Formats: sequence, structure tokens, C-alpha cells
Amino acid sequence: MAKVALENLGFRYPGASSDTLVDLSLSITDGAAHALLGGSGTGKTTLLNLFSGLLTPTSGAVLFDGVDVSRVRGRERQVAQVFQFPVLYEGLSVLENLAFPLRTRGWKPDAARQRARQVAKRLDIEALASSQASSLSLFEKQLLAIGKALVRPDLALVLLDEPLTAVEPRVKWQLRTLLREVQKEEGTTMLYVTHDQTEALTFADQVSLMQNGRLIQTGTPAELHDLPDHEYVGHFIGSPGMNLVPVEVRDNRLICAGVDVGDCEQANGTNYRIGFRDSWATLSVQEDPTGLPASVQSVRLLGTQLGEPQGHCRLRLGSTEIHLLTTTQVEPGQAVQVAIPRYLLFQDGKRVATYAG
Amino acid sequence: MNSLSKPSAVARLTLWAYCLYLILPLYWLLTMALRSNQDILGSFTWWPTSFTLVNFAEVFTNPVWRDGLINSLTYVVLNTGISILVAVPAAYVFSRFRFLGDKQLFFWLLTNRMAPPAVFLLPFFQLYSAVGLFDTPLAVALAHCLFTVPLAVWILEGFMASVPKEIDEMAALDGHSFGVFFFRIFLPLNRAAIGVTLFFCFMFSWVELLLARTLTASAAKPIAVVMTRTISASGVDWGLLAAAGVVTLIPGIVVVWFVRKHLVRGFAMGRV
Amino acid sequence: MQANQNRAWLGVLPVVLIVAFSGVIPLMTVVNFSVQDVLDVNTRFFVGFDWYREILRDQRLLDALGRQLLFSATVLAIEIPLGIAVARAMPREPKGRGWGAAALLVLLALPLLVPWNVVGTIWQVYARPDIGLLGHGINALGIHYNFSQVSSHAWITLILMDVWHWPSLIALLAFSGLTSIPNQHYQAAELDGASRWQVFRFVEMPRLRSVLIIGVLLRLMDSLMIYTEPFVLTGGGPGTSTTLLSQYLATMAVGQFDVGPAAAFSVLYFLLILLLCWLFYTAVVKRDLEQDFARQGERAAHE
Repeated sequence: MAKVALENLGFRYPGASSDTLVDLSLSITDGAAHALLGGSGTGKTTLLNLFSGLLTPTSGAVLFDGVDVSRVRGRERQVAQVFQFPVLYEGLSVLENLAFPLRTRGWKPDAARQRARQVAKRLDIEALASSQASSLSLFEKQLLAIGKALVRPDLALVLLDEPLTAVEPRVKWQLRTLLREVQKEEGTTMLYVTHDQTEALTFADQVSLMQNGRLIQTGTPAELHDLPDHEYVGHFIGSPGMNLVPVEVRDNRLICAGVDVGDCEQANGTNYRIGFRDSWATLSVQEDPTGLPASVQSVRLLGTQLGEPQGHCRLRLGSTEIHLLTTTQVEPGQAVQVAIPRYLLFQDGKRVATYAG
Repeated sequence: MNSLSKPSAVARLTLWAYCLYLILPLYWLLTMALRSNQDILGSFTWWPTSFTLVNFAEVFTNPVWRDGLINSLTYVVLNTGISILVAVPAAYVFSRFRFLGDKQLFFWLLTNRMAPPAVFLLPFFQLYSAVGLFDTPLAVALAHCLFTVPLAVWILEGFMASVPKEIDEMAALDGHSFGVFFFRIFLPLNRAAIGVTLFFCFMFSWVELLLARTLTASAAKPIAVVMTRTISASGVDWGLLAAAGVVTLIPGIVVVWFVRKHLVRGFAMGRV
Repeated sequence: MQANQNRAWLGVLPVVLIVAFSGVIPLMTVVNFSVQDVLDVNTRFFVGFDWYREILRDQRLLDALGRQLLFSATVLAIEIPLGIAVARAMPREPKGRGWGAAALLVLLALPLLVPWNVVGTIWQVYARPDIGLLGHGINALGIHYNFSQVSSHAWITLILMDVWHWPSLIALLAFSGLTSIPNQHYQAAELDGASRWQVFRFVEMPRLRSVLIIGVLLRLMDSLMIYTEPFVLTGGGPGTSTTLLSQYLATMAVGQFDVGPAAAFSVLYFLLILLLCWLFYTAVVKRDLEQDFARQGERAAHE
């Protein structure tokens, strides 16, 4: 396995009028599981193809263990890939499929078969070893495709392109857990591409979020959730996304919906917004001069928290809509006060300050 | 995109060589058509040194040739029309219903495609004479149905079977009558299939000669037969023969040009 | 269900009627002829299988059968691989499908749309030693070549003509099969380090199987039925050296008007084609089904 990096990588399709990927820099530690998260059309697949050698960067470089491989053919890159739909040699047996990438690399038949059996055993498809790949179920096929990608011990990087798309929801978690276990055991460097944040955040050590051909933030799942660099990250990650409320900075005070919320060292202006998760703010029905006035729009009961019923509340605060988790019982139409002890401050979309209590 | 799906240099060379192999006889036919018979027999030249349109003028003005061309096109169009008309409902039934003897019937239809035309020389002559169709384009069209109808059913069934049955049920739930569903919804869905079927019916009817020759005498003589009968008249007029050959290529080129986009897709989706 | 069955039969009725008219009635006539001796319109004798016995002893027919099998085997052995090779060399990406690719497609399809006698004419004009490009060219190289006098030359020309006429069918079928292979399969093979041959063997061939079965079946039956092209090109000669089954049958039926033997021959001829197609189909398709069953059984045993 290898340390994988991108250096100021840029890419433009021949004949296109704008760049698909712009100035990407990224470093993935050896043996780490890294997720690439982004909506459709953000350039994820293009980036994947640059890693696998299908495309050559227009500028910058792809580095494996510090060596520039940008111009190395796919077959010589020590990369394997799992696709959205199982890509197998349908006419070959499970074992022959697993041994295939080894046999092409000059492994002796016995050694290849032994390694193939080992992988089949780990993925619990040993019983199917001599079945023809075309006779497997979709789930078994994708499992085999994953096995085929993991079979070479000398790989630098394994690419996974939305590998759970075709799998039934029922077994998605099972496959993801298995993948993660094997990744840890074998110390495989993995790049997992998805548009599904739950998959990305539960699978990876580090997650990079992409937007419009740029990497906008890389960090642990917790960092992306609690410390987004951009409003976009805060909004994209989490369900619901981060609450964003316009504020004004006036003479070192932060004014939100006409109420003074606290100190602020930023320059005066109205191009600010505060961001907070639904669990960071509290709600009260009593009069509170420091609280922000809001009105309840809808309440949905989620369950109980320490014996008290917990609800998810949609509120109108000034001209924006916010979401809160609360144990206080409220009804739609009711006027309430919101206190926000913990929040992030964004200026023109970028995070400039953090307040915690 | 990928080097493995890109043809290798050897493969490209094979393709070019094969194209050359296809073109050379056609090139030669064209040069022959553009030379007078005396010129052809007089001296051998690799490329035409003198051009003449005499041969083409003869083919297009002499009523024998012109009628031959019209006769051919008449039975081809008749055949294609009949084939589609009877094959569409049958293919729909085969793709949608299970009924007593359906598999046997389907297989029996296909076996007709395997019957050599030479086998039918004698009976066809008798049969069509008996019903008074001998020497009419309709006789040839019906005879060709023996090959084109099974093929048409086969191709159409393959396409129609891949159209989900839920569409039928949804149309019924929406309160459409069967006729409205079939003509407004179902057939337009199978446009490509019908295009491919037209191509194949046209192809097999246009290129066949043995039955066409047996079932016609003078009035309905197809152009291909006019060609064979001119050879034996008084020596061979190579220039004229070649010009007639060139003319018979034109309908094929026109048809394939119009269906070229459907051709590959149609092949891939359907049975054929 | 009963109503459904009735409606179903209504739908297939036109096809049954038209094929019965153009297929069944004539075929019954042929069978009828094959067991009778027709002296004139009113005088017929039932002769049982006499005609069948007679034609099976006909040495000229057996020779024609031998030539027919050799011809079909040769052209299939050339045309199937050639068609696949041509299909693999065609540009597959959408951006490669511009004007040139359209022209290529038309050129490939063109031989399929040439009337069969014109195919013969084209090759006659092309291969004649006096006026033909090919014939004159070969002789100009100092090699004696005359397909209307030398049997082996006639054979070679016949094969060359069929190899001009038909590989396009296989090529178009195979090409449509290839275009349906998603690009990911090639990408995976590249990362697996597969060679071109392995890609052909393990990625492309399995995907081409069903179209190729159809292609081989069509070519098998059509090559066994071939009549018009050799009739125009060589007329079966020199001598009878290129007389194939259909031509011998036509000579017998129309030329000599031997109705009884010709009918018996026709029946056997039809059965031969059915048999060969059935053999090919079962050999290929049944073997696969058996393998599938065996594997399923194996799997069931594991579970």
C-alpha cells in the first residue's frame, strides 16, 4: 500500500470550454480509508479516472509514495477499482475471477489459487468458489468484485465508485461493515467515492467534500460535521443541514434579529451569517431578554431522551427557517425564545470564528 | 477512452484491407458501367480513360429495364407491407400470451426460414398458376413472405418481449381501449424494432432472384431477371450489364443510409 | 383465460394463413410428388420410397452434397472470424461515429443489399481474365488464372465472392454486441493487467455469444441454400465442379423435369438443413444449459 497525493491537479476535457477539476491538492495516508463526497456532476468520477490512469491530468500531478504516476498506464499503476455495478468476467468461476489479476501479473497457478481462496474465505464466498460468476446474485457479484479488487497484496490504492448503489438497502450496511473490516486488517489505502454522506461519514477516516470541481474541505467526519470551513459544507453535511441565520456586526457586537447576541471582533458589516447544529441551541417558553424571538411552525416527536419526550422543531426566526431538537413541549404557532450558546460565524460563506459557550 | 477498447494497429489494418476488398469489385463495376462495350473489349485499362453515360441512358429509357425496376420495387414494397402487417399482431401475441402450442408454433414458423428456395420451384409454379397469380408482383411478394414473415415475427417478438407488461396493464387501468393502447402507445415504443424489421424484409425480398424468376414470365419481370436474360441474347453487353448492376445498388444504399442509426442499436436490443 | 387464448390465436392467425399458403401447401405438394410417379395430369402411381432410394444412389447428387458441405464449412470458417475481427476494429466511441463511421457502416451493409444475381455479375466482371480487374491483375503477375476453365480457380473465386458477400452480416451483429459492453469492463480489464486476447476471450466473447449464435445459424442455413451467385458466376462449372445442392436440384426439377426424384431430393434437402441447424443449436445451447444446471446443483449441495 502507498501514500497517495494530488498536487495542484487540474483537468479539462479536450474541447471543453472550462476546467472540470481545478487545483486539487490532497494527501491520503498509507492504509487510510478516504471518502470523496459530492453531488452529481461535481467531478468525482473524473477524479477517479485520473487516479486509475484512464485520464491524464492537464496540470499538476498524481503521486503514489512521492512518485509522479500521472503518465503511467492504468495497468502499471497498482490500482484496482470497484464500480457501481459488478464488473466481472461472467464466464469464469468465482475462484478464476479472483485469481485473474494475479495470473496476469505472472503469479504461479498454485500461489494464485491459494491467495484467491484466502480472499474468498475472508469474504465468506468460499462455498461459491467454483460457481460461474454469471450465476451469482447481485449482492454476491458485488462481493466478488470487491474481492477481485482486494486480491493483489501489492496494490497502492483501491478505488470504490459508489460500490453500494446496486446493492439492496437491506444488505448495504453488511457490505460496508465487511469492507471496512477488511480494509483495516489488510491496511489497504482506499478511496471511496459517493454522493451519500451517511456512507462517507460512517466508512472513512477522512472525508473530502467536492463542489464544482474543487475540494472544499478535507477532514474527519466529526470535523466536517462540527467545524465546516464553508457554509456549503455545513449545509451539505448532516440531516438536517446546519442552520444558517443572517447577522450583523456593529461595533464589536453581533446583532441577530435585532437582538444583541454577544461579542465579536470582526469588522462591521452585514455580510455575516451564524451557523449552528440543531442540537447546539435551546428553546424556552419563558420570557428571556437575551433570547431570540421565534415562532414554532411544526413539531415532530422523535422519541424520548432521558425519559423526556424529544421533538424536532421547525421554527421561523426573523426571515429564516431553523431546525432545533428540544425536550420542551411546544405547539405550532407558539411564540418562543431561542438561545444559541454555541455557533460558528461565517463571513461571505467562509468560517471566520468559532464560539462555544 | 481506454486503450483496450481501442482497436489495435493490426485490427485497423484488417479493417482497411477488408474495406478495400469490398470496394474494388464495386469500383470495377462502376468503371465498366461508364465505358462502352467496344471500349471494354478493345483494350484493358486499370482506370477509365473515356467516360460515357450511354449505358445508363439505355437502362433508364428502355421500357424493359424501367419496367423491370418498377416491378422489383413493387413486389418488395408489397412484401414488406404484408410482412409487417401480419407479423406485428403475431409478435405481440407471442410476446404477451401463453397459449396452447405457442412454442411449437413459433418454432414451426422459424423452420420455414430454413427451407431452400430451390425446393419450392415446382410447387410454387403450380400453385400460383392455379390461383391465377402467376406473373404478377403479388405472387413474388407472397412467395417471399415464406422467408420474411418468420424473420419479422422473430425480430419483433424479441423487441416486444423486452417492453414491460406493466405498460399494457397501466394503459388498461387508465381506461384506454386496446386499439388506442396498441397504436398510440405500444407501436411507437417499438419504432426501432419496426425499422429493423423493414430493413430485413426489404433486404431479403430485394436480393432474392430464384423465386422471382420462377414466378414471372414477362409482365412482372424484375430488373434482376431482365439482366440475366439480356446476357444470353447476343453476346454480352458488359457495359450495359454493369450499368444495370449499379442501378440495382441504389435502393440498397438509400435504405441503409436511412436506417443506419437504428441498425446497430436495433441489432443490439432485439433478437437479431 | 379461455378468452385470452382465443384472442391470442386471432393474433397469430394471419401469419399462420400466409405461411400455410406460401409454405405448407407447396411443401405438401412436394411430399406428394416424392411418393408418386406422375406420367401425366391424370395418371399417377404411388411408388412409396422408390424415389428416395433412387436419389440416394445418385452419385452426382452425393458429389454435390460433398461439395456443398465443403463449401459451407469453408465459408463459415472464414466469415465468422473475419466478421468478428472487422467488428472489433470498428470505431466504437460516440465521438468516433462521425461521417466516416456512417460511411463505413453503409459500405459494410452494402454487399448484403445487392441482389444475389448482381453479386454474381459483379464478380464475373471483376474476375474475368480478359476484362476483370482481379483476373487481369493476377495474370499480369505471371500467374495463370481462369475461373471458367480451371476447377480450383472456380472454387477459389466462389469462396472469394462469398467472403465478399456475407462477413458483413456477422460484422454488424458482432459490432452491435460490442457496443453494448459498458466501458467499465474495459477499464477493469486494464487495471487487472489483461491482454487484448484475454479481453476478447473473457470480456467480449461471452457478450457476443447470443448474437453470434444467430449469425452462425443464419449463415449456416443460407450457405446451404446458395444458388443464384454461383449460377451466375460459374454456372456450376467447369463441368460440375462447382455444382452445389440447390443448383443440382434446379437442374433436376426444371431442366430435366424429373418431378419425382426432384421432390424426394427437396424433402431430404430441407431435412438436412433442419438437422444441421438443430445439431448446431443443441450443441451450443444445450451444453450451456447443462453447465448451468450442474453449477446450480453444486451450489445447492454447498448450501
